[in-house]
Amino acid sequence: MEEEDQRKVTDLVVDLVRRLLPQQNPNSPHFSQSLRYALRILSSCLNPSISPDADAIAESIKRRLATLGNSSDALTFADLYTKFASKNGPGSVHNKWAVLYLLKIISEDRKTAKNGMDFSFLLPNLGLNDDEMGNNVRVLNGKDNREKGWKNGVLLVSKDPENLREISFREFGNLVKEENEVTEEVLVRDVLYACQGIDGKYVKFDSNLGGYALLDSVKVPRATRIIVRKLCELGWLFRKVKGYISESMDRFPAEDVGAVGQAFCAALLDELSEYYKLLAVLEAQSMNPIPLVSENASSGNYLSLRRLSVWLAEPMVKMRLMAVLVDKCKVLRGGAMASSIHLHAQHGDPLVHDFMRQLLRRVCSPLFEMVRSWVLEGELEDIFAEFFIVGQPVKAESLWREGYRLHAGMLPSFISQSLAQRILRTGKSINFLRVCCDDRGWAAAATEAAAAAGTTTRRGGLGYGETDALESLVMEAAKRIDKHLLDVIYKRYKFKEHCLAIKRYLLLGQGDFVQYLMDIVGPELSEPANTISSFKLAGLLESAIRSSNAQYDDPDILDRLRVKMMPHGSGDRGWDVFSLEYDARVPLDTVFTESVMMRYLRIFNFLWKLRRVEHALIGAWKTMKPNCITSHAFTKLQRAVKLQLLSTLRRCQVLWDEMNHFVTNLQYYIMFEVLEVSWSNFSNEMEVAKDLDDLLAAHEKYLHSIVEKSLLGERSQTLYKSLFVLFDLILQFRYHADRLYEGIHELQARTVESSLNSRDKKKSRRQEKDKSSEPGSWISEGRKALTQRASEFLQNMGQDLEALATEYTSSLESFLAHLPVQQHIDLKFLLFRLDFTEFYSQQHPTV
Amino acid sequence: MDPEAARTARESLDLAFHMSNILDTGLDRHTLSVLIALCDLGLNPEALAAVVKELQSEPPPSPPLPTSSSQIP
Repeated sequence: MEEEDQRKVTDLVVDLVRRLLPQQNPNSPHFSQSLRYALRILSSCLNPSISPDADAIAESIKRRLATLGNSSDALTFADLYTKFASKNGPGSVHNKWAVLYLLKIISEDRKTAKNGMDFSFLLPNLGLNDDEMGNNVRVLNGKDNREKGWKNGVLLVSKDPENLREISFREFGNLVKEENEVTEEVLVRDVLYACQGIDGKYVKFDSNLGGYALLDSVKVPRATRIIVRKLCELGWLFRKVKGYISESMDRFPAEDVGAVGQAFCAALLDELSEYYKLLAVLEAQSMNPIPLVSENASSGNYLSLRRLSVWLAEPMVKMRLMAVLVDKCKVLRGGAMASSIHLHAQHGDPLVHDFMRQLLRRVCSPLFEMVRSWVLEGELEDIFAEFFIVGQPVKAESLWREGYRLHAGMLPSFISQSLAQRILRTGKSINFLRVCCDDRGWAAAATEAAAAAGTTTRRGGLGYGETDALESLVMEAAKRIDKHLLDVIYKRYKFKEHCLAIKRYLLLGQGDFVQYLMDIVGPELSEPANTISSFKLAGLLESAIRSSNAQYDDPDILDRLRVKMMPHGSGDRGWDVFSLEYDARVPLDTVFTESVMMRYLRIFNFLWKLRRVEHALIGAWKTMKPNCITSHAFTKLQRAVKLQLLSTLRRCQVLWDEMNHFVTNLQYYIMFEVLEVSWSNFSNEMEVAKDLDDLLAAHEKYLHSIVEKSLLGERSQTLYKSLFVLFDLILQFRYHADRLYEGIHELQARTVESSLNSRDKKKSRRQEKDKSSEPGSWISEGRKALTQRASEFLQNMGQDLEALATEYTSSLESFLAHLPVQQHIDLKFLLFRLDFTEFYSQQHPTV
Repeated sequence: MDPEAARTARESLDLAFHMSNILDTGLDRHTLSVLIALCDLGLNPEALAAVVKELQSEPPPSPPLPTSSSQIP
């Protein structure tokens, strides 16, 4: 069959040549030359350069006809072609495409030949005879610099009688075949498998290299090897990401991975599904070669390794990003994960930026949800401990201070610290209202806030990238809820009134009440502490309240006022352990905590002591008033004694004055400069306070300033001690003064008696004098004894008073010396008042 | 050859001839039939076209071209 065909071919070729060269004699040498030439041509190009698709060729012909302006020709051609193509069966043309292709080439050649250009570079010019050869060579050379197209990219520079080019082509073809054991299509398919994490036939996962690579046993050119390795990086990245996802999903049931982690996995899975889609399309393309209608394109698969690398460039970038994120987030959870992803999103490339933005939207949605529910409802739905607000179960009174706090580790970096504080405070307020104040009105405030911010109270309103929206929502909510909270605190719980009450009772602001209390309770408290019963004191407190203006106060407030006996030792007097206390209940005990009340107690003690001293001095004044008893004593006594009496009295008076001056000014300073000023500051701050934190801070400041300015603070320890020394001295003075006047009264009484009993003055004086020292033996003694006694007594008293005075002066001096040294408070008012005549600074220049 | 096949062959040739005229290839009916036969036998059409071009280009293109307005078969 083969030979028959061969013969047929030869015959046909002969026929063809004859036809083409009709004027030639079939037997001429020219003819045989031509024949040989024809045969050579036919044997050289064995494979067609395009794929055998008749339709495509017909299309291209039609198009060419149409572009040349022969649209009618084109239509006719189309018609003919359809008829031609439909002819099947015996007797028809089998290789239709070949015929069409043939016609096409011939017509094109004719066209170009007619246009004068001669593209005879396809084959070597064999030069049929010398003239022709010379002509053709000249033509070739002549047309060299004008030619533009290359049929096969081979420039013929010399004639090649031995057909060396053919041989080298063939050799090259063989070499290529040898090197490429594996065709490109197979490699492409393998690479596509690798990109999904599956080992292919020749591309497997090499654990030494840590990646996909071609097996070394496969012989491929180095370039191919390198490009395969580069493309397989995608496979390695894919493995990493997929590994993380499957690992996380295994941990889901163990509740190890948080909501944010789950969202992250979901987002990654979505990205991967996009990736799978792309890979599916690429795989489909790699199966079907797309035919090309342009003549000079190479056949073979559409999808070569190079095309694949172009297609996979973008997925490579995305996959790289995902792998980096996966690495970072392996050990993180919750807000920390969101933070680190956000860090990676700070990128200039729009592709990366958009990708990260989308990912972050998904990842942060649980976090934003938690913020929303916290801010609008006070609910902390945080099963996996991922939120940046942590709650602890505490008692109602420490709810505000310790119930919730920020967890800095879980705070995402796109939420600023101040915003986080506000979020914390808003949620805390809602919880506080709900738990401590039993208030339901905050829900309305919350809905209002949500409406104002433009979102709803339903889920899913916010997302990443809308930090502004979140901020505005939080601000609105915070504003409203804070206002509501303050309203509740002020109106329902009458915070201001309670503060005022504390000031009036614990800080001794209600003067008349304090006076009565002291009057009534005073004698009681002089007893030792363990003999005093608190019930009795409570009864006395009641009577004090009733007899002063305090009775008109709110009964609720008066209810809370109680007597408290502090824990005492054996030597304590009642004065040391007595105190008042005020019972602030929930929710106000958030402000008036235990420690705060302790401080109030300290201040109360101090003020109470001060009052006591003042009271003592006033009592002394009552006895020291000039009265007939003392003046009577002047007239009756002997001159020397009189002088002594006068001097003693004077001494007492002067000392009293000094002490009184000191105490009064100190009292004034404490009451007005310290208490009232602090209170007015506090009131002002209460007016402008925007939330409970502000209020707490203001109250803290108020207390602190009182403590510091009344010398109770730590830095004023020395001053405080010297002050107490002074108080002690004053109390001693009171005692002495009492004794003195008692003595004088006795003296007076004796004198009067003796004058009644005897006509002799001296006798009675003696008697009186005796009486003053020994009541029993007074009368027996005479006037002389009386005088002596009186003078002795007076001398003693005088000495005592002297001693007291010196001690007092020195203490006062040291006290005043310390005053200006205190840098931290404004004691210059006190100093000014105490020393306004500069009496002390003149006496002792060191002051 | 049975008449069916003969008719098919004739018609195919006619159609091909008509197409070749539209494309202005300058081939006559007989040459075309030879070429078609050669194509059917599996020869490379590019090579055949080359042969045609080469052999036609040496002497002045002599055979007068059939008129473009050939009879419609």
